[in-house]
Amino acid sequence: MLVATRLTRRFGDRVAVEDATFELAPGEIFALLGPNGAGKTTTLRMLAGLISPTSGIVSVDGEEMSRGNAAGVRGRIGFLTEAPGLWDRLTVRQNLSVYARLHGLPQPSRAVDEALELFGIADRARDFAAQLSKGLKQRVALARTLLHNPDIVLLDEPTSGLDPESARDVRDLILRLRDERRAVLLSTHNLDEVERVANRVAVLRTRLVAVDTPAALRSRLFGSRLRVVLAGPAAPFATFVDGAGVSDVRADDRSLSMAVDDGRGRAPAIVRRLVSAGADIESVVPEEPSLEEVYLRLLSESPQPERRP
Amino acid sequence: MTRILALLSKELADLSRNRGLFYPAVMTGITAMIIPFFVAILVPYFTGERLSDSSDFQVAIEMYRTQPATRGLSPEGAVQAWIFQQFLLLLVLTPIAGAMSVAAYTVIGEKQARTLEPLLATPITTFELLAAKVLGSLIPAVALAVAGFLVYLGLVATFAESGVFRVLLAPRSLAIVFVLGPLAALAALQLAVCVSSRVNDARSAQQIGALIILPLTALLVAQLMGSVELTGSVLMLVTTLLVIVNAVLMRIGITLFDRESILTRWK
Repeated sequence: MLVATRLTRRFGDRVAVEDATFELAPGEIFALLGPNGAGKTTTLRMLAGLISPTSGIVSVDGEEMSRGNAAGVRGRIGFLTEAPGLWDRLTVRQNLSVYARLHGLPQPSRAVDEALELFGIADRARDFAAQLSKGLKQRVALARTLLHNPDIVLLDEPTSGLDPESARDVRDLILRLRDERRAVLLSTHNLDEVERVANRVAVLRTRLVAVDTPAALRSRLFGSRLRVVLAGPAAPFATFVDGAGVSDVRADDRSLSMAVDDGRGRAPAIVRRLVSAGADIESVVPEEPSLEEVYLRLLSESPQPERRP
Repeated sequence: MTRILALLSKELADLSRNRGLFYPAVMTGITAMIIPFFVAILVPYFTGERLSDSSDFQVAIEMYRTQPATRGLSPEGAVQAWIFQQFLLLLVLTPIAGAMSVAAYTVIGEKQARTLEPLLATPITTFELLAAKVLGSLIPAVALAVAGFLVYLGLVATFAESGVFRVLLAPRSLAIVFVLGPLAALAALQLAVCVSSRVNDARSAQQIGALIILPLTALLVAQLMGSVELTGSVLMLVTTLLVIVNAVLMRIGITLFDRESILTRWK
């Protein structure tokens, strides 16, 4: 649906994004992670047709984006910018109405009515944007982003600064977009949010450090680990699991953590060994590092990009 | 066209809730209206001296005697007609000055309010964006100028010598109000929008925008000094020039409006 091929963007001698290649499929939520200044917003702007890459290609449904067709391609993409960007002196309805007409919708008034209902803001339609809370402004901005029913949705930090309830509403909406088979690219610093919604993750630090599913990244960086929780101190039993296809055994109070070479398949053998050694086992669970650990490991292993060639 | 109208409706709705932006234009318009009445009506009334007795205005009397539309006026009426004609240009141009501060702020204001990026993410083209922005300032400016002209006409009909107001309805006067004024406004506002597209803070936009008024003021002064007389042929020439200037300015505006710089370099 949307393919970025070797995207590079320089501003003078500063390289903002270099050689980024990835694709976005229908029904997928693709999270773009990276530290401040990593090039996330620049990447989104290139994908949205707002700025052109210094080199590389963005194509939408096989059509390569260029200066000549950028306006048309922009009409097929919904881009939620970092700030809601509402016109404060216009009402919610007026804000949406202008965008409905800018997108050339055949029945702008009806489209606005539907969006107001869909996003639960119909009762605030006559309020000026300046009067809205931050959460409501974001909801209106989301309604504006989706007003023209785009297949590709680019969201730049959609829950930034929102209270937990508003953030949950936005997350629910993002999941709904996935269910509607839209392709969603989500740029965020909120790793918990990514954990909850994203199918695939890309870590960007000028260059793409990694692109994969969260599970694959975990497995690649940390391998598979099991945690066995015992009824008593774990340290005396650490040596008993040696030779059961495990390595890197760590004892911590009442639990043993170990790397296993074939995931959960080793669990029965490990349990048998510990039980025969006299251990009382309370639970055996796969140990998953958080996405934050994965992210920080990826960044620590990736070299700091050369900013000035 | 739909997108121009869509953004224009936003510009006008926005301005209608921020009428204060046009207060300076209204105030200068009123001042521009008062000055000729002060000179042509109040001063002679309070001093008891007729302007037509002054040698300073003999040129005006001679000039008006030679023109068919003014031949029937009294000497005092001829002087009044000359004064009201001269100040007509000022009356038409003053709302433009006010509108220019609006136009100069139009792009940079969107950038500062962080409303420009979502707007640029729509299919709107640069031409459509600039056209809507210029029209958003031009329409109120022209409306103010026309409203000012109608009030001016009414006041002249009430207070000036009989027949003077008819001079203001002559083709030359109407051309100033309805052709020259809007074309000059369009040129000035296009320049202001160009400025707004290139500078990166509102103060610079307003300061540079204010410079644009200088050539227009020079034209007015030249006319008052008698260096330039807006005859029919001069008006035709100026109108043609303004049409060309406007076409060139639109082209320059589109070239100068660099979406990428605006998004990535402005703070």
